[in-house]
This record gives sequence, C-alpha cells and structure tokens, in this order.
Amino acid sequence: MSALPTLAFLLIILSAIVQAVFLFRKERAADPVSHWLAGLAALLLAAVIATRSVEIGFPALTGTFESLVFYALVLCALTLAYRLQRGLPFLPLVQFGATLAALALLAVSSSPLAPRETLAPIPALRSGWLVAHVALSFVGEAFFVASFVASVAYLSVHDVEKRRDYDRISYTSVAVGYPVFTVGALIFGAIWAERAWGSWWSWDPKETWALVTWLVYTLYLHLRLIRRGERADAGSLPAVVAVAGFLCTVFTFFGVNFLLTGLHSYG
Amino acid sequence: MRLAVVLIVYMAIFSLLASLIPQSQDRSFYAAHFPAPLAWIITGSGFSAFFRSPLFLVPAGLFFINLAVCTVDRFLRELKKQERRHGPDILHVGILLLCIGGLVSFEGRQSGSVLLSNGDAVRLSTDRVLEMTDFAYRAYPDGRPEDWTSTVRLYSGSKVEIPSYAIRVNHPLRLGLLSIYQVSHEIQRALVLQDSQGGVHSLARGEETQAGEASIQLLDPGKPGESASVRIRDASGERVAKLGVGDPVGTMTVAGVRELEFSGLEAVLDPGFPLVLASLIIAALGLFLTFFQKLRSMGVTTA
Repeated sequence: MSALPTLAFLLIILSAIVQAVFLFRKERAADPVSHWLAGLAALLLAAVIATRSVEIGFPALTGTFESLVFYALVLCALTLAYRLQRGLPFLPLVQFGATLAALALLAVSSSPLAPRETLAPIPALRSGWLVAHVALSFVGEAFFVASFVASVAYLSVHDVEKRRDYDRISYTSVAVGYPVFTVGALIFGAIWAERAWGSWWSWDPKETWALVTWLVYTLYLHLRLIRRGERADAGSLPAVVAVAGFLCTVFTFFGVNFLLTGLHSYG
Repeated sequence: MRLAVVLIVYMAIFSLLASLIPQSQDRSFYAAHFPAPLAWIITGSGFSAFFRSPLFLVPAGLFFINLAVCTVDRFLRELKKQERRHGPDILHVGILLLCIGGLVSFEGRQSGSVLLSNGDAVRLSTDRVLEMTDFAYRAYPDGRPEDWTSTVRLYSGSKVEIPSYAIRVNHPLRLGLLSIYQVSHEIQRALVLQDSQGGVHSLARGEETQAGEASIQLLDPGKPGESASVRIRDASGERVAKLGVGDPVGTMTVAGVRELEFSGLEAVLDPGFPLVLASLIIAALGLFLTFFQKLRSMGVTTA
C-alpha cells in the first residue's frame, strides 16, 4: 500500500509533463490525457486514505500526511472536473498550476515533515464534525489554488481577452471555494471545538489564520462588487488579494503547524 | 461598503499580527522578548490581549453597525427587484447574530472544572447534583488514549432527573445553557474515608468534604506508607493534622490512601450558546443560497 502515493506521484508528474509539452506547442490545443492521469492519481490517493481509515477504524484525515494526501486528491479531482466542465473557458495554465500544486503537496507528504506512521486519533479528534471540518477546509482551499493560479496568470498577461478569462476562473473558483471553506473551516470547526472543549473559538493561531484567510477572501468578493460598479474589468487589485488569500492558506496549513503552537499543533 | 473594506483590511492585518505576538503574557515577558519601545507599545496599547482590547472591539463594533445598515439597505433594495437574491441578506443576518451571540457569550460565559472518581458527586446548582457512577478509560495498544467515558446520574432535588448518561469527549451532557464536557483523565493518590454506614468517600488533593460537623480538606496524600495531611475545620477551629489508616475524623474513619482514577469534567454555562448555534446555521444557509444563485446565473455546468 505504501507504493500507492508514489504511483500517484508518478502519474501526476506524467500529467504535468504532458501538459507542459502541450503548453509550449504553437497550436495551443488541449492535451487528451493529462486530466485522466490526474483522475487516476486521485483514485489512488483515495485508496490511500481509505486503506488508512480501515487501519485506524476512523476516517484518516487528522494527520499531516493524510491531510496533504487528501488536499492533493482534491486538487487532482478538481483538475479533472475543470477539464470536463463546459461553462467556463478551459485555460491549460490553470490546470497546469493546480497539477504542480498537487505535486508539491505530495512531495511534502513524502518528506520528514509529514510522518507516515498510521496513528489512531486521540479522543478529541474522534468526531464527525472534525472530519467534515478538515475535508471541507481542503476542498475550499483547492478552489483557492485554482484562483491563485488564475490570478497570477491574470497579473502576468496583458491581453484583455485572456485577462477576462483568467478573472472569470479566479472569481468562479472563489465563489465555490469561499462558502465551502467558510462552512468547513470556520462553522464546522467552531461546532467541533464547542463539542470537544466547550468553547466555539479560542483565538488559537490556526483559528486566527483561518479567520484572516476568510477575511482576505471576503475582501476579494467585496472589492469585486465595488470595482464592478466602476469598470467592466475588476482590475488588478482583486487578483492581488486572491494571491494574498492563497498565501494565507499556505501559512495557515504549513506556517502555523510548523512555526506556531496551539490547539491545532497535531495536524 | 468602502468602510466595510477598510475595517476588513484592518481586522485581517491586526489579527495576523496578534497571532505572531504571544498574547496575554505578563509585562515582564514582553520586556524580555521585545525592544523596549515595542514592548511599551504592545502592553500600553492593549495589543498584548488584542482580541479583548478596544483595538479589536471598537473596529468590530463599527463593522457590526456598518453591516447592520448595509443589510437593511440591501434588503430594501432587493424587495424592489423582480428577481430577488436574499442570500447575502441571510448571510449578513447570520454574521450579525454571531456578533451578538459572541458578545453574550464573552460577557456571560462561566466555567469550572472538577475531578471526580467513581461514586463522587458535585453540586451543579441549588437543586441539581451530578454523581459519577462509572468511569472508563480505554487506551490504544501503544498507550495513547482512545476514549474516556464518565457515566453520570443527575439528581434534581431528591428525584433522579437523568438515570444514566455517558459523557465522552465530543459528547457533552446538555442541560439547557449548561453543558458538561469530558476534558481529562488523571490517576491521583486520594484519601479514602469511610462513613458510619460503610459509604466510601475519596478526596483528591485540594478537595473538601463534610464529615458530620467537621469539614476536611486534603492538603497532601503523602507518599506510600506515610500519613496524609489534612485541614480540619470544626467547632473547635481550624487545624492541620496527619492522618493514618483507622484514624477517626469527624464522623468518618480513614480507610487508606489509594491511587484512584479521576475523570476531569468541565461545566460551562454559556448564555450565548443558542444564539451562536442559530447564527452559524443561518450564515451557512445564507452562504449557500448566495453562491448557488450566483453560480446558476454564471451558467457553470459539467459536461
């Protein structure tokens, strides 16, 4: 079973290589296989989570390794869904960026920062609310990855048409990710904390950073509302805020876990 | 909306800074860890307890007022439209309620913890008494805790209100606004006293019990083979005494000092509980209504 994450990692590398080749081709046609490779990687990562869950008798999402694997799984699934959907323009760079992010997460999961030891959860972590809290937080953050990639692309191109497409992807990603993240990270997190410790909110560094992340994406949505009223294009500022929001999610996960201590220092 | 944007930026930046600067420490801590002018600013401005200081509460109050006005304004504007979208209004009402609930909770929340072993009881209010009938501790093969369960019985006056309830981590006992949580487990040396009817009472360090006219508080259970130190208060006054097996104390007799399992329970009385819970549900509903309507209007579908 320990070969599954490696196999998934190789599939994602292959997917990234195929995408890179097609990105540099002149005709700019979408490749026919990279999304299926990512989809297959997602299945393998789901098998990793399922196996570990059976092993510990509880949904395996509470450790750093499992969180990283799940995050990568959602990103792979998201790239597949993005490629298959028809409502939004397909921009290969967005798929490529999300694939690289999944690759980076799996790389970290195989490092000493994320011990692979399968440990059953301590009493406070044995909660359905916690599982929903963690799962939805990462689903929301996966959409924020897409928004980050689209925003970076938006800021680095000058073509009006392309900017509009990237802006649309960024906004749609936040529009989906924001409610999922809010419900998962903040609402379900607060409900879990109340049931476990009798306090909805403790201003723990992770909670504070999750709130900061939420405030930054709230700012993004409000800036768009204001700017939409003034001009057709939302402008660069929301894109900069989307990039800042994603950096906040990165610090919330890695920075708080490894640099600050608090109630969430176990995962 | 521009004021809201300014307040959101302020709260994001200052919350972020507050997470990086240790909170609620003594002045000496900041003096030792920061340059003198910065330490003076942190303690003098209230930044050392940012989330309880005017630095946070005043902007949060302004945000509340701004959001309330925006919500009413937006709601009235939506009423005039053919195709109404009330998702943001519902979300904003949820956030407003959350602010109120948070404030009620912040002002009125009371909590206290107690260590109970099997047979121990604690008075929750003038007429309610919680008795622990059983405590079970399960551990994984590697020794880490798997679960703690305190089975309790609740008396209301002389009547049994709840015959049996298992309080576990993540499964508190709810009694209206009062909740009892399972928070810890300890093994402690305890003084065991036996009353004239054969009833057994265990005292952990610092705990107090009545033995007839005398009140007995365990100061130190002592090491194995040693006597326990207790404080006795009775009609003759207050004194510290050493007690060994068989010694009488008030109407009881010392049965020994034993290692007992204690369950750590925390009682929380939170008048903001129903408001906060309702606000979270309303906010979640508002969020999804907002974004489903928005996505539908944007025509996002899958092939």
